[in-house]
Amino acid sequence: MKTSTTLTAIVATLLLVSGCSKDPVANLSDEESRIYITDHDSTISFSNYQTFYISDSVAVIKNGKSKMQRTESDVAYIDAVKNQMILHGYEPVEKDQNPDLGITVNRIISTTSGVISYPTYWDSYDSYWDPYFWGYPGYGYYLPYVYSVYSITEGAVSVDMIDLKNAPQTGELKVIWTGLIRGNNIYNEQVADSQVKALFDQSPYLKSF
Amino acid sequence: MKTRLFILFIIFGLGFGIHPLQAQEHSVRLNLGYNYSFPLGTMKSDLISHSSPRGFAGSIGYNLTPQWAVGAEFGFQDYYQKYPRQVYNTNKAQQISGVMSNSVQVIPIMARVEYSPLLAENSKIRPYASLAAGINMVDFNQYLGMFKNQGRTSVNFGFHTGLGLRAIPGKTDKWGIDVGGDYSYAPYNKLGVKNLDNVNVHAGIFIRLQ
Repeated sequence: MKTSTTLTAIVATLLLVSGCSKDPVANLSDEESRIYITDHDSTISFSNYQTFYISDSVAVIKNGKSKMQRTESDVAYIDAVKNQMILHGYEPVEKDQNPDLGITVNRIISTTSGVISYPTYWDSYDSYWDPYFWGYPGYGYYLPYVYSVYSITEGAVSVDMIDLKNAPQTGELKVIWTGLIRGNNIYNEQVADSQVKALFDQSPYLKSF
Repeated sequence: MKTRLFILFIIFGLGFGIHPLQAQEHSVRLNLGYNYSFPLGTMKSDLISHSSPRGFAGSIGYNLTPQWAVGAEFGFQDYYQKYPRQVYNTNKAQQISGVMSNSVQVIPIMARVEYSPLLAENSKIRPYASLAAGINMVDFNQYLGMFKNQGRTSVNFGFHTGLGLRAIPGKTDKWGIDVGGDYSYAPYNKLGVKNLDNVNVHAGIFIRLQ
């Protein structure tokens, strides 16, 4: 009977070990944990735009409230976006040189149990980036496509591209491209280049030629 | 193929059997063992092709006659696969790039009938065939990166058919080693996956409870 007791103990241990599920999230590296979401206005041609201006600060949106910041990580993201735009044929200009495109970089943080969904993000966009910043006080932002609702409970970095070229004619600041980075360890200057490159790599229509 | 295996088991059993069949009527036997599973069908082609080393199988049987036993079987199996990063088009204008992970846990709970064709009292190897029908509780989760993309828990019909051998190393048949395999028919029909069929091999022990 001693033998059977020992065997039972061995099998019980084996069952405990074998019964453990593999945790899909714990089995990911930081790189694998990240997702990149891009969306754009498919009715326009991005080759109609030649110049851009990118803000030198990042809007940090925390629990629905925002402030401007410029940490090392923020600068790295701004520089990475600027470099990718240049690589894709766009020319950086100053804000007072009538850029065709305005670009913002945003850091979204939620520390509460509530979530920031994309409709909420867009609804409050003019409080993060006052249209006055672009020289169009009183204008509203317009998102011409339906962005899938992705709740943000952890950190995210978003990059938004605004059509300034046609704003005087349309009377609105139309968001024509947006990219979102989510996952582990993204607020890090070491990874900014690769994160922004991933957004541009999956947006082959982003070119000025 | 199964018929051939069955014949092999009988021949194998005869080789080790010494005396003709003697009754183990009204005995209750508990089997517990490690289970290794190989996905088949649309589970393999559409969801998870990797075999699963994370599982266990168990059964409890009551011998109505020396050959026939009825009871229940249960178990657990965890399937998981991570796919390389890929860009997915969610609509005409939106793309999502991510590492997709599929995770499936199956808990079968089934009524079981078992037939032992050559149960010799002193034989050291006893073959058996089993049939089981009942439910599979299935928990399916899909992740994109670290974010859950979709998930569903459901209860589905399931059916097992299996073959096995019990080896008795001791002087009595109060305990022994149980090895075998089975085919699991598991219709699913959710999230584009038609079935979670699989083939299993198991190894463990059995204990006669009474």
